[in-house]
Order: sequence, then structure tokens, then C-alpha cells
Amino acid sequence: MSAKTLIGRVALYALLSAITFLVCFPLVWAFFTSVKPKEEIFRWPPTLWPESWTLENYRALLEGKQAYFQAGAAAASGPPPSAFFLDWFLNSLIVTLGTTAISTIVSTLAAYSLTRFRFPGQRAVPYLALVGYMVPSIIFVFPMFLVMADLRLTDTLFSLILGYVCITLPFCMWLMWAFFRGVPIEIEEAALVDGASRLRVFWEIVLPTAWPGIIAAAIFTLIVSWNDYLFGRVFMNSMENLPLTVGVMHFFDGTHVDWGLMMASSVLMTVPMAVLFMLLQKHLVAGFGAGAVKG
Amino acid sequence: MRGFRLSDRQVGILFMLPFLVTAGAFMVWPVAEAVRLAFYSYNPLRPDDLTWVGFENFERIFDDPLFWESFSQALVWTGWSIVLQTLLGVGLAMLLHVALPGIAVFRGLLLFPYIVPTVVIALNWRWIFNSEIGIVNHALVSLGIVEQNIAWLSTPNMAMTSAVLLNVWKYTPFVIICVLARLQTIPTELYDAAKVDGARAWRRFIDITLPMLKEVLVVVIVFRTIWTFNKFEEIYLLTRGGPGTSTFNLAVYAFEEGMANLRLGVAAATGVVMIVLLLAGTVVYVRVSGFGQEEKGS
Amino acid sequence: MDVRLEGLSKSFGSNQVLKSLDMTFPERRFVTLLGPSGCGKTTLLRMIAGLEKATEGAIWFGGRRVDHLSPGERNIAMVFQSYALYPTMDVAANIGYGLKVRGMAKPDRAEKVGIVAKVLEIGHLLARKPKALSGGQRQRVALGRAMVRKPDIFLMDEPLSNLDAKLRATMRGELRRFHLDLQTTSIYVTHDQLEAMTMSDLVAVMDAGVVQQFGTPEEVYDRPANLFVAGFIGSPPMNFAEVELETTGGRPVLRLAGTALPAPDHFDLAGVPPRLVLGIRPQDVSVTNPDAAGAVPGTVWMTELIGSERLIEVEIAPKLRFTAEVKSSVRCALNSRAALRLDPARIHLFDAATGRSLARQDSLPG
Repeated sequence: MSAKTLIGRVALYALLSAITFLVCFPLVWAFFTSVKPKEEIFRWPPTLWPESWTLENYRALLEGKQAYFQAGAAAASGPPPSAFFLDWFLNSLIVTLGTTAISTIVSTLAAYSLTRFRFPGQRAVPYLALVGYMVPSIIFVFPMFLVMADLRLTDTLFSLILGYVCITLPFCMWLMWAFFRGVPIEIEEAALVDGASRLRVFWEIVLPTAWPGIIAAAIFTLIVSWNDYLFGRVFMNSMENLPLTVGVMHFFDGTHVDWGLMMASSVLMTVPMAVLFMLLQKHLVAGFGAGAVKG
Repeated sequence: MRGFRLSDRQVGILFMLPFLVTAGAFMVWPVAEAVRLAFYSYNPLRPDDLTWVGFENFERIFDDPLFWESFSQALVWTGWSIVLQTLLGVGLAMLLHVALPGIAVFRGLLLFPYIVPTVVIALNWRWIFNSEIGIVNHALVSLGIVEQNIAWLSTPNMAMTSAVLLNVWKYTPFVIICVLARLQTIPTELYDAAKVDGARAWRRFIDITLPMLKEVLVVVIVFRTIWTFNKFEEIYLLTRGGPGTSTFNLAVYAFEEGMANLRLGVAAATGVVMIVLLLAGTVVYVRVSGFGQEEKGS
Repeated sequence: MDVRLEGLSKSFGSNQVLKSLDMTFPERRFVTLLGPSGCGKTTLLRMIAGLEKATEGAIWFGGRRVDHLSPGERNIAMVFQSYALYPTMDVAANIGYGLKVRGMAKPDRAEKVGIVAKVLEIGHLLARKPKALSGGQRQRVALGRAMVRKPDIFLMDEPLSNLDAKLRATMRGELRRFHLDLQTTSIYVTHDQLEAMTMSDLVAVMDAGVVQQFGTPEEVYDRPANLFVAGFIGSPPMNFAEVELETTGGRPVLRLAGTALPAPDHFDLAGVPPRLVLGIRPQDVSVTNPDAAGAVPGTVWMTELIGSERLIEVEIAPKLRFTAEVKSSVRCALNSRAALRLDPARIHLFDAATGRSLARQDSLPG
């Protein structure tokens, strides 16, 4: 390697490291803040590396409910928002998994049907889905709220699942449609010639090969429904029914803001997505490649 | 054959049914409802009082200075966000497209912001851009770049800047992914041919890379423009549209009309305006990208 | 079991790809559907398989009408161009899938799969996934999947087109061998005339949704029914030129580029129009000295060595060139004068207006 290319490489690595630092810094800083004791958080100038480490913020979030009820004081002011953190986390988990299951199953079936059978208007459906995917949530949210109110579903996790299914289904549909269009039909035909029924072909031949597409659709759905704020804000009332995203914004309700608690919840909220990201990074990129992801 | 057997037609209908029911009940109906609502006066606290008002809601928003303010602020926020994330995205994608040991690590880390919940970013932003004890101000002051702390989120210009930075931070990875995917499909023979023809690195970028990226950039820019223009959460969670109404966009305007002022008809009318703008954007997209051409051909 | 088509038509929208076909594929014969891409041969095969519905007409397998049945109910086996192996199943499961679907017990299945695998020499691959196989091995698995079920009809859609040239030559022989052993009615689609010629009992040459000629390989090669078949079969392709039929001294002659050739006597020339198309294969043309009597003079335009033979292209009239295939020892300088001698017994004549071959007076030898 010549000196010139060596210098070029070092410069490139340095530049990449600087950019990566900028990109990762807000989250790293959130983590450092979350493990500092209160007085250190508010110190000026701030300490870059935590001087003393503490888990008090995480404890407040994870054991908040327990602590509140054990105290028995049941103060007239009611429980602090942090007491609901575990409820919110669980709500978000249920809603996210429920949405992902429904969206992927419904879109997989429909996309298969659209690519393998003949219908009137079959060309139009995926393109309509793409248009539907571009309609911003803010337009859906109020009329959907009224529909939910008519069905007496507001303030239930099920209403959130339905809402998220609606905003994720069009893109999942588009993704699976593009996927099935790319799968050679001959393999299914071979199975039909072998004597398998259409349902059997779907179950034994199509599904096992469709996993890359299904995973891409599932990742998209997981991200959207875990990250959404708007639907939770409009549909839900009771503190114990909120999804995580809406819940943690209640930490701003008090007169002074507890940044330690806030950053600890940021970290906890990011962890499931980070794990998903690390496990499925390859599929994530493949999924993005198949189309654009809403955000 | 044995057992019960569905015809292809029956299987097709059976598989389509859940989609049609869900899409019909929870997408087509609400959107139709949204359009209908735009012509009514409706307050959710008084559900029986649904009055037909014709175009009154539209007249109201077009007469509302805040609507126009939101509209122009949305343009500013969208314009800056798109320009910055496109430039940064293409630049970073070019950097990441080299075959260096360890490049995969950088690729992974740079894509990470995309999956971070908006709420988390908004919280982090409020914290690092905090005007008294935020790390950004500390860094800028101690590096001597500014003399005193900047009021990031409490002055109109700086609040808009912060919001743009948030959008750029979160969505540049999206541009990177799309551009990288395209870069990887450009045949290396093209570059070899250009080298043989004597083109230097910069000329190769201008004459080969950029034209090959044109298609994906059009898609990315149009999609990102449509979504950024209509984006609610990034702005609302970071600034709540403030200080004052200085970071309102149409989505925040519609939300405030519906949620705070309980004027769902006005919110719906704003939504209709947004849909019209969206369709206009889509038409531009179809025109520019020639989308669907390959379908007609077959 | 024979396969009979009655008035079979297929349209995609306004595009008619098969035009009212009537033909019978005789029992136990190996029949090839040969034609250029887009001629409808694959569509026809897929209709026989039940993967496409006929727009009109009927398909009979022996005495049973099958065009309303699903592919699985027709007891056919098919080898696809891409092999279409099930990517998630290993080789044994791939071969045995048709048996499994029919409810055969596992031990029986394993036994049958084992026998077929042994015949095809892929016994050692049974636990592998398709991804881990070479092209030739995939080909064998696809064949095994088709053979194991003892189908009534064996359908193959360009099964050799994804193999390299050497393997293709080997597989041609093997496929022919399997057919002779199994004696199953087979229908084979290809655009490769060499495959059609070497493997088939009968060849159906198709173009534009119509069967142009249906006969033995010898028939379609030696007695092409029309200009299309004549031009499609044979390599290098047949030379064609418009000729005038005249009478000189009471004898019919053909005027080709100014030279009068005695008309061949194996055609019935009574009452044919004077404008004809003469066809002759390069193998039946020889090169001689420019002044030879009865030869067509011209200028050497191009020579190409193709191994033991040499192709010599001679321009006998402006824009009209004939190719002769001669021994490689024959040498001609470019742009030199030369003349072509056509073997009169091997001349083909076609009606210039209809493209059809003139009626022949002799019978096929052998």
C-alpha cells in the first residue's frame, strides 16, 4: 500500500468515525444521563463520563408501581407517571405484536391471491395500496377515532391494533405483492402437477419460501407500531392503557422535568428496536430496498 | 382426489377477503368519513350536533392566518430537511460504498437512527439542546464557537432549525440505504470503461454515478417531500408547534383544531387540503419517474 | 396413452397464440414441439399439463377428456425449464413429494425414491438441498421427480436449455435411453433442432400458433412442407432464391440468377405457377471452377472454417448469396470467381405465393 492510499484510508476512517460519533451521540448521551445520579445530571458544566453510576432511574421505572402501592400512602395527588411505565411497556408490546401478526397474515394472503389468480381490477389494487400508504396518519386519525367510538372500542388496545393495521397494511401489501411477483411460479406449478391442492401448495411450498418477504413486512410493521405516537394520543384516555410513546410524554407534565427518568425510558424504549435491528439488519436493508419505508 | 378441494377461484377470493374487509372498514370508510366531515360542523363532545355547513370549514381555514403560516412554515421545514438529507445521504453513501475492512460496522451504525422511535429522538433532542444544561450548548461555548448559550427551542428560528436537524438526523439513513442499494447495482465495467477513456474520479461521479442515481433520487426526494410535508410527530413532540405557533405545519394545525379546539370539521377540511396536495405530489412523481410504464408495456 | 387435441385454441386477450389445433400424439412415442420463441409451443404444453385453460377445444388422454381437470388429477409429470425444485426440501423430499401428496406411506415412498435415485445415479445426494446441487444434478432430480410417479404422460419444457453444451449432449442420450426403457408417451418442448432431431420419434414444427409440419425427423428435414420449416430446420440454414420456371427445348428448366438449371424430376410440375422459390441446403452445394457447365457463376464473398468443413459464401447475383458447405481442404480466395453446382436430386421447390412445397412424385427412401 502506498503512502498516499494509506493517508487516504486513515482520513476516510477518521471522517466516518466523526460522522458515526455525531449519529450515535444523542443515544449515547441519553444512556450516560440515565445512569447519573440527579445532582450530577444538573451539574454545569456537565460531566462527560459519569462520575458515579446509579440504576435509580431504571429502578424508578421498573419498580415504580410496586413502590407506589407499597408506600400505601396513595397520596391524593395519585400515582406518578413513572408508576405506569411497566403497563405502558406491556401495552406497546401487545399492540405491536398483535398488529404485526394481523398485518403480515392479511397482506401475505392478499398479495398471493393478487399475483396468482385473475380478478377484475387486480392491477389497480397494489397501486391503490401504494397511494393509501402515502396518506398521512393525521388524515386517518380523527375519522378513525369516530369509527372506533361508534364501535365502542376507544381506549382499548384493540382500537390501537386496528389503527396500526390500517397504516401498515398498504405497504405490507405492496411489499408482499412485489415479493410474490418475483417468486418463480414454476415451483408452485410443479407442485400442482405433483397433485397438491392449491391450499397445500400455499402451505407447503409458498410459505416456506416467502419468509424473506414476510420478515421485511413484519419489521416494517414492528417499527411503525412500536414508534407511533399519534394514534395512541387520540384513541386512548386512561393512564394504564397508554402505549409507551404517549405515556412517557407525561413525564413533562410536572413543574420540573426529571431528565434522568426521561433518558432511562428513552433507553428502555429503544432497546427492543435495537435488538431487532441487530438481529435482522440484513433483512431490514432488503426490506427497504423493496420500497420506501414510511416515516 | 381425496378430501375437499377448493377451486383456484375460491382460494383467491378467500385470501382476498380479510384484506378487502379490513381495507374497506378501516381505510376507505375513514377516508370517506374524513372527506364528509370536512363539510360538517362537528364537536365530539356534542355528538348529536352534526350540522351541514357546506364549504364553511374551507372558507374558515383559508381565512385563518395561522393556516397560511403553517403552510409556509411547512414549506421551509420540508425544503431544508430534504436538501440537507439528500446531500448528506448521497455523500455518506459514496463514502460507505468503498470496500474497506470494517465498513459494515459503520454502515450498521449509520442506519440505526432510522429505527429509533420519534418520541425517543424528541426527548433526546430536548435534552441535548436544552438551553441551560444541554450538552450542545456546553460544547459550542467551550469550543468558543458561540459566546453564550443558544435558546434552541424557545426562539422561532432556532426551534425550526432544531426540528430540521431532527428530521435530517433521523431520515438521512433512509437516503443512504436507497442510494447504497442503487450504487451496488452499477456495473463496475462502466467505471472501467470511463477510466480507459481517461475520466478522473470527479468526472466519473458526474458522468456515471449521478445519472445512474437519478431514478432512485427522484423516488426518494418525492416520497420524502410528501412525508416530511405532512409529518406530525417530529414537530409536535419536539416543539408542540412552538414557541407560539412558529413551528406549526399543516399536520400540527389539523391536530390542534381537532384535538384542542374540538373542531373536527375544520381538522377534516385541513386533511382534505393535505390530500389534494398529496395527490398533486403523486402526479408529479408519476410524471417524473414514469412509474407504471413497465406495467402498461406488458 | 395417446393425447388427442380437438380444435384447441388459446387467446390471451386479443392475442391468439394457438389457432384451432387438431393433432394426436401417439401412444409411447417421444414427440417434440419445435419452434422459435413465441410460437405457442410452451403454451400448448402447459395446456396439456392443465396449467393453462383452453379458450376453446378439447384435450383427450386415451378415452378420457381431461381439459376440465386440474394438473394433479391428470396423472402427468412435468420437467420445467428452471427445474422448479422445491427450495426448502431436500432431494429425497423433492422426488417423493408427488407420492406424499397422494398419501403414500413413508417407507414405501423412501423405497421408490431410492430406486429412481439409483437409476439416475443421484443416490448420494438425497439429503442435499437443491441449492447445493450443480446444474446437471438439479436436472436429474427434476427428472427423478417426474419418473417416480409412473405418469401416463411425460411433459418436458426445454429441460436441457440451462445446461452447458457438453452436459446437454450427454443428457440428450440419457433422456432418449430413459424413454426407451419407460415407454411413456412423452411431449418435449424445445427451440433446439438438434435436440428435436436426435431424440424424437415425431417432430411438430410450430410457428405463429399453428403446427407447420408434423412428421418424423427425416420427413421434416428431407421433405419440408413449407418455406418456414425448410428455413427453420437445418444448419447452416437452407439457401433460398426466387426462380422462373421456363421451357427450353421441350424440357422444363429453372432460371436461377441467369443460369438455366434442368428442373428436378421429383416434383410434379404440371400446372404450377412460373414463379417458384428454390431451396437447397449448403451441404448439397459444391464449388467448382467458374466456367463449368450447368453451374451458377459468382464471386466468393466470404469463407469460414467450421472444423472439418468450410463454408463458402458466393454472391451469384446482387444481394443474393448462396452458402456451400465443402471439405476444409477446398480453398477459395476472397473476391475470386467461382461457380456453384447444386445437387439436382436435393433441390426443394416451393410455391412463391403460398410458401408451400410443390407436390413430390417420389417416395421417401428407406
